Amino acid sequence: MMGSKQLRALIAALILISLTGCERCNPDSCDPPCDAIATPYTLEIPPFFPPMDIPEDNPLTEEGIELGRLLFWEKSLSADGTMSCGSCHLPSAGFADPNQYSTGITGAQGFRNAMAIVNIGWSTSFFWDGRTTSLEEQILEPVSHPDEMALPWDEAVSRLQNAPNATTQTDYPNRFAHAFGPGDITAERTTQAIAQFLRTLISADSKFDQWRRGTATLTDEEFAGYEMFIREGGDPETTPGGQFGGDCFHCHSEAGLQFSDYLFRNNGLDSVFTQDPGLAGVTGNALDSGRFKTPTLRNVALSAPFMHDGRFQTLEEVIEHYNSGGVPSSTIDPFMKYNSGGLTLSAVQKGNLLAFLNTLTDTAFVADPRFQDPH
Amino acid sequence: MEKHKNFFTIRLDILAIAFLLLVGCRPQPNEPEIPGSIRFEFNLQWSGEDCAVGAVQTDHMGHPVRIDNLQMYIAPIEIRNERGEWLEINDVALLDFGVHGQKITAAANVDTYNAIRFGMGLPAEINTDIDPASYANDHPLSVPGSAGMFWTWSSGYVFVKYEGKFATESGAQLIEPLSYHCGTDESYRTVVFELEDAFAIESQELTAFTIDFNAAAALIGEQDAIDIVEDPVTHNAQGTVLGERLMDLMDDAWNLTRQ
Repeated sequence: MMGSKQLRALIAALILISLTGCERCNPDSCDPPCDAIATPYTLEIPPFFPPMDIPEDNPLTEEGIELGRLLFWEKSLSADGTMSCGSCHLPSAGFADPNQYSTGITGAQGFRNAMAIVNIGWSTSFFWDGRTTSLEEQILEPVSHPDEMALPWDEAVSRLQNAPNATTQTDYPNRFAHAFGPGDITAERTTQAIAQFLRTLISADSKFDQWRRGTATLTDEEFAGYEMFIREGGDPETTPGGQFGGDCFHCHSEAGLQFSDYLFRNNGLDSVFTQDPGLAGVTGNALDSGRFKTPTLRNVALSAPFMHDGRFQTLEEVIEHYNSGGVPSSTIDPFMKYNSGGLTLSAVQKGNLLAFLNTLTDTAFVADPRFQDPH
Repeated sequence: MEKHKNFFTIRLDILAIAFLLLVGCRPQPNEPEIPGSIRFEFNLQWSGEDCAVGAVQTDHMGHPVRIDNLQMYIAPIEIRNERGEWLEINDVALLDFGVHGQKITAAANVDTYNAIRFGMGLPAEINTDIDPASYANDHPLSVPGSAGMFWTWSSGYVFVKYEGKFATESGAQLIEPLSYHCGTDESYRTVVFELEDAFAIESQELTAFTIDFNAAAALIGEQDAIDIVEDPVTHNAQGTVLGERLMDLMDDAWNLTRQ
């Protein structure tokens, strides 16, 4: 029989439960995860940058980031053990590929230039055609793509699970356990680790950043180029609202110092898009034909060649393209001055614009030892 | 006697628990009434007919025209009760008419209302000299949330983007650019719907409206008309008159119906 004291204790417990029952922890929503053993990593958001949205199911950890770095540079994630993610995203090239098209392990080439992966943690879509909307999802593709690293994910996971072995010296089972806790190595965990590493690839110490923070001075030429950058383009006689500017800021928005608006545009490279429809290949909407993701201009001076297909080798060619107004088409962006004589920039103005673009180079970022090949 | 006393005390405890369990999660009698909700569904029209972004239309001068992108800020949305008090139900939203049937749903106090209004654009206090990076990324004024609607810190946000292509004559390829970007504090307009029949917000009930935007009426109204061949572009951050004219025309381009 339960005594009155025991009964009162039970009653008190029931009252407590009744008052707090709605606050009970759901194991699926514990923060940090209930089984976490890794060390949380606090990302430092640079001045003037927006907050970075990090997936709740993939919080940054010291161990996860370091594992991601190892995996990013892991050549055993390619079928023949010769390529890593870093093979086509070279730090010296602003984490882009200096070749027009990247060459996979079979010698096959893609048809687009590998995008720079700087400040990618703020991006809301991935690839030139935006076919994925999460970094983790994006990472899945190059490893198994037959024209890239050509390694099926089950084989990739097997190699990691059995490491160290003939193809890699890294003790991945131990690394994964420290980063994610108990459980098997999976493709999902592998992409999560790489995504964690990529979110730390933050460039925010260019001369322009320093100028914004008040710790550097732009030359007259650079400042004039900046003014060109943020001024409406075109001759006001032929382009209403024109200010003889470069009209760069609409797409390469200065907001949040991202130098991209995250949107997709047809910048007048071609008049037909049968070879590469861009965003239309994903959406099926003809209005998206020839539209590609606006890339960031950070480290643009390092990341040649330019455009989705790497057709321009120099920034001078890029500036000349925009100056010309581009090739008319049904979907060309209305910002392009294709029917009003182009931007009509003088040689001096083009030089100033180039000088400004060079201020976006962050040499400390590309040389940062935390991002280099650890193997 | 002792036995009866214990039994009585225990019973009081049980009753207390039962009472707590029964009423613990319910609102107290003096708590405000649970509000209802109000929903606005935005719909794109061309001369009174439903249409979609990307469809070819004909303007008032016979030019084939295709709107490829139509976005605008509306801030705030308010409803007026019968005591004449305006209640803000949504502070700022970015409409994208490329998204079919875009809806804004908000909580509203239980009451009877006789007018609805919204600002077309952004009030000055949230327009200029604000860093979009200061907002959470899901906010319509944030860096990604503004979706290309941010100009610069000094000129603020683009209030309306009305972009597309047109042809100068019927049958020709639509290749001419149409690009109306309206902004600046002076361009802010307020759209007001005075309702003949008041509507009631009931507790926990949804009241829904459809708001049609007639994109053709942005080019012609009772007082003004814009020739897209003569005036195909404006960025009225520079204070051009065309942007002001467009905002005036768009002020009269709305229609509201109860669902």
